[in-house]
Parts: sequence; C-alpha cells; structure tokens
Amino acid sequence: MSTFEKLQQTIATTLKVASAKITETTRDQDLPAWDSLGQVNLIMALEQEFGVYIEVEEFGNLNSVPAILAYLGQQGIQ
Amino acid sequence: MATNDLDKLLATASLAHLRAEMSAGKVPQSPGQAQQVVTHARSLSATAQPLRIAFVHTYTSDLLDPWLALAGAVQGVEVQSYHAPYGLALQEAAPHSALVRHQPHVTVLLLQREDLHPELSRPVTGLGVEGQALVREQALQRVQEIVSLFRQQPVGQLVVSFLPRVAGPSHGLYDAQSETSESAWWAGFKAAFGQWLRTSVPSSLFLDLDDVLLQVGRNEFFDRRFWYSARFPYASAAARELTRRLVAIGVTLITPKAKVLVLDADNTLWGGIVGEDGFDGIKLGPDYPGNVYVDFQRRILDFQQRGFILAMCSKNNLADVDQVLKEHTHQVLRDEHFAARRVNWVPKVENLQSLAQELNLGLDSFIFVDDSDHECAAVRHALPQVEVIQVPSRPTEVASCLDQVARLEVLSLTSEDLAKTEMYAAERRRRELAEDTGGTGAGDYLTRLGMKMSVRFDARANVPRLSQLTQKTNQFNLTTRRYDEQQVQAFVADPQWIVADFSLADVFGDSGIVGLALLQRTGEHSARLDNFLMSCRVIGRQAEGAFLHTLFRHLAEQGVDEVVAEYLPSAKNELVKNFLPEQGFEPLDEGRYRRDLRSVPPRVEADFPIQILMA
Repeated sequence: MSTFEKLQQTIATTLKVASAKITETTRDQDLPAWDSLGQVNLIMALEQEFGVYIEVEEFGNLNSVPAILAYLGQQGIQ
Repeated sequence: MATNDLDKLLATASLAHLRAEMSAGKVPQSPGQAQQVVTHARSLSATAQPLRIAFVHTYTSDLLDPWLALAGAVQGVEVQSYHAPYGLALQEAAPHSALVRHQPHVTVLLLQREDLHPELSRPVTGLGVEGQALVREQALQRVQEIVSLFRQQPVGQLVVSFLPRVAGPSHGLYDAQSETSESAWWAGFKAAFGQWLRTSVPSSLFLDLDDVLLQVGRNEFFDRRFWYSARFPYASAAARELTRRLVAIGVTLITPKAKVLVLDADNTLWGGIVGEDGFDGIKLGPDYPGNVYVDFQRRILDFQQRGFILAMCSKNNLADVDQVLKEHTHQVLRDEHFAARRVNWVPKVENLQSLAQELNLGLDSFIFVDDSDHECAAVRHALPQVEVIQVPSRPTEVASCLDQVARLEVLSLTSEDLAKTEMYAAERRRRELAEDTGGTGAGDYLTRLGMKMSVRFDARANVPRLSQLTQKTNQFNLTTRRYDEQQVQAFVADPQWIVADFSLADVFGDSGIVGLALLQRTGEHSARLDNFLMSCRVIGRQAEGAFLHTLFRHLAEQGVDEVVAEYLPSAKNELVKNFLPEQGFEPLDEGRYRRDLRSVPPRVEADFPIQILMA
C-alpha cells in the first residue's frame, strides 16, 4: 500500500467519509468533517498510523493531503 | 498498540470476547483505531440500546465522542452525546433547554477547580491554613449551587467531575507533609463534597478523575499539545478510561440490575482441580500462581462490600470444596460469604435456575464467573439473560478480570446492602439444617436452632421500628392497623395500653425486632388485642405462639382473665385467618374472638422450642 493510500484510509476512517472522496489534492475545506475537531482527531490518527510524533506548531500546517504527504516525506516516510 | 493486537480485537466473535480482550489490555490507541473497533462491535450485536449522555464542560469535550462510541459499542449500547455550549452553561439547567430536551440518562459536569473559586487558579498553598478553610467552604458552596440547579431538572443521573491539575502538587516532593499541603486540601474538599452528595442529592455521583489519573499515570493522562492548542486535556489513555467509566454508569442505569455473583471453584477461586490435585495440591497461597487467586478472592470481597450477593456453582464433591472452605489457611472466602451454593454434578444451567429460585431473584440479575469454555458457552446459549465472565487462562490476568464489568459498579450504597449476604447466608444455614433434620421432623430442627426470644414492654427506643412494622407488615397482621411514630409513642406513654415487642436470635444470627402486640386494658379483668403482627422473616418457627402466650401469662399475673381480639381480613393477611381459634379463642360475632385465660390457661414456655427473656 502506498503512503497516499494509507493516508487516504486513515483520513476516511477518522473523519468517517468514503475513501473515494479523498484525492491527492483534497484539503480541509473540501470536507465538512475536516473541521477543527476533525483536525485534532486526524493528528492523533496520523501519529498512530505512521508512528510519528507531531509538534504542536505543525498542527495548523497539516490541513491538506499534499501538506501531510510532504510532512511525512520529511519524516522519512515515502 | 501493536497491529496484531488490533487484529485480535477485530477478530473477536462476540462482545464478551471483545470486552475480555480489552480488559486484558489490548486497546485501541487512536480515534481511528477506536472507530475500526466500533464498526466491528456493531457487526457483532444486532441491536444497540441508546444511551444518551449530556456534557456541560469548561474544557473541550467533543473530542471524547470517538471514545464514547467505542466504550458504548463494546457494551452493546449506542451513545448519543449532547455537548452544551463551551463554558459553565448554567442556562442548560432550565425546563426546556437543549440539554433537557436531549432527555439524557446521564448528565456529566466536566469542571475545573478554578470554576469553583477564583483563588483556585493559583496555588492554594499561598492561602495559609485559615485561608484554605475559607476557600474550601466557598468552593463547596459554589459547587452545591451548580449541582442543585441541575438536579432540579430532569437531567438523569448527575455526574460531577473535576479535572486534575496538569502540574504536580505545589510543594512538590514535600507536599504530603506540608502544613498547607495542596493534596491534603484537595482531599478534604473531595471528602466534604462526596458526603454532601451522598446525604443530600439523590441520583448523583462524584466521578473522581484523580483515580483515572492514578490508573493511567500523569504522563499518559494529559497531552499538553492538545491541552494548550485545543483545550482538550486528555491523551488517548485518559479519554478511553474516562469514557469507559461514564458508559459503565449509563449501563448500570439502563440494563437490569446485577445482584448475584455466581462463582465457579476450580481454576477460579484457586488454581487446579481440588478433586484431582487434592487439598494440598491446589494453587492458593503466598507464591505464584497461588497468590493470584488469593488476590482474586480479596477482590471478590470488594464486590460483596458493594452489595452483591455471592453464590457458588461448582462441579465437585461437596466434601472436597467444604474442606477447602473450612480448613485451607489461604482461603479468603469462607462458607459464611456465600448466600447459596451448588456443589454437585448437575449441569450448571440447572444449578443456576435453582439458585435463582432459592434466592428468589431473576436470572437477569446473575453474573456467572467460570474458567471453562464449555461451561461459559453452555450458559450463554441456554440462559442468554445471565452475563457470563470467563476467567482468563493467564494467571496474572485473573485477579482483575471483573474490574471492568460495568454492571458490577454501584451508584449508591446502604447499610442493608452491606448486610445482605450475611442475612442470606444465615437463612441458607437455617434451610440446610431444616433439610438435615428433615427425617426427624420439624421439632428437632427448631430445637437445634437454639432460639432466644427477647420480649420488651413499652420500649420507647423502639418506637420508630415498631411504627415501621405496623406500616410494612402485610401477611402476618391480624388487623393491619397502621400507626405513625407519634401514635405508637402515645400508646407507650398511656398506662391503659401495653406495647409489647420481641426480637428473635438463633445460632445463625439475630433477626432484630420482628414482632409487635398492642393491648388495651378495657377493665380491671379484661383487655383488648388491638393488633398482633410479625415479620415474615420469622414465620414457621413457632415464635408467634411463644410470644402470644407469654403475653397471656403477663396479663394473667395482672389479674386479666379475658382477652378480646379481632381478625380484619385484608387482601394479604389470609395467612392469619385461623390464628385466633388456633390459639384457643372462641368466636364472638363477625371477626371478633374471645379468649378466657381462667378456664383455658395460657400455655407454658416449655411448650415452645424457644427460650424467653423478659427485659
């Protein structure tokens, strides 16, 4: 499974949306469930699924699929 | 959590298995994993009862929702949460508020200490001893106001909690012995608040989050990132444990009340099989794995102290189990702890049914604890209303295997709850003696009870109990005349009236005050029996005859030679329809009877298997 597919699944389970709705360009404004609460839940899920510890400064930046993929890339997850 | 742990949860075949795995420490670590387990749990149970929980919160509570869904799903309930607007939303404590319209089973106040007093946002250690006492008083008053406001509305069970401080105690390592110790101040506040709720506010519970913190640890309790960025204090471990506790409260409210803990013996109360390994071969004692079972038995006593009745159901020879209960040095649970026992080779399903009959309790109030796959499956299949808990095969998990059983939580406790098993156990021993002596007749059984009756006249101190007896006794009650405390008090003070009561003790215990007679002197040589009643607890032991004839002898000594009495039929006192003629009364007119004490003298004490003590 590619990192994108894993991320797609993580977002879908956490925000309770169909994975088909999540593309490589999806961002928070595209999904009503990706609000500020959804964002916190998503941060927790990302940490669990990808084994990373996300600093509070990053919380606001991780608001789209490309941003999260770029962040994961920086952490050595391709 | 290791992925294979999550896989194990997702592979469970029933909610009971899922709960057992989670209770043993395999738990989802993130909201996403929680969601996966929720989906799985929902697929395991056809229906989920709704459990409505409302939150009034001065910190973010919405993020608890995935964890609430998890805690609910594993219990087979669907949590429907309502979160009031952020802050101390007192406007919700109104007749038609959104919270009240949610019709919650449980309303949770998630408060912080500083909500109760502005001083509490600073270290209380700075206030000095007197300042601390004043702040405690004022904080207590404030929380009482808040609780009272909500209690006046139909908000269900009210649960009050305070977020622990993110930081440790002000005085650090020295705090426990400091004169202005913060921990001591907080403990004092909690005790005072708990006492007030217990004595003054029905359907309320103080949920002590300090215990959640103890369980998960301070570092696992708070996630400072979410606390400082989103006002959500809980790390996953704390959110999971807090919501588990909240749902347990709800479950005790919306499911049938559990009352009986039915315990297997082999590989449950001790390791090994007493019939095969022998008295000396079972594992029970100070070394592993025997110490596990000692701890489990102690834990079971905790549940008894919560008011649950203990019963035993074991496939064994009675003598083998008896020997362990009586003689094993390390056995904690003794004969007297069990209200009823089934030690035989009959199928456990039948034993459970007969236990329900003997205890006069429904099977849906039973929790059955057994280590065997086969026994657990058989009971689940035949008696789905019985909750079945399988004892883990790994010994280290045994002692805590009941800790997360939601229906073993209680939301209140009375002194009657605490004495319940004792009463049942005494009754069981009486019944066993009766069966024992079955061949030799009832007389022998009653003699062996060694009964002692204490008769008292005009006992002022007993007035509340005597009034209660006239109010509550229905079956053995000649006239069903009800008297309040003031009326009974007036009879006690009136020289024309005799208020006699008795209590009955035997080798198994003391029943307390269980009988009452009210007599009125109507002339120099005559008296009238206004009422005569006895609690059904002591029916069948000839106590009524012993008491009545003791009164007759007492009256005869005072020169009374005629007693008039009545039987007033009610819907429930058929039992005593023939009592008066049986005691030598002759019928007068409609329901009235007369007893001549001269021509038919009272019977003597030796006629009854009861020793009479006159106070």
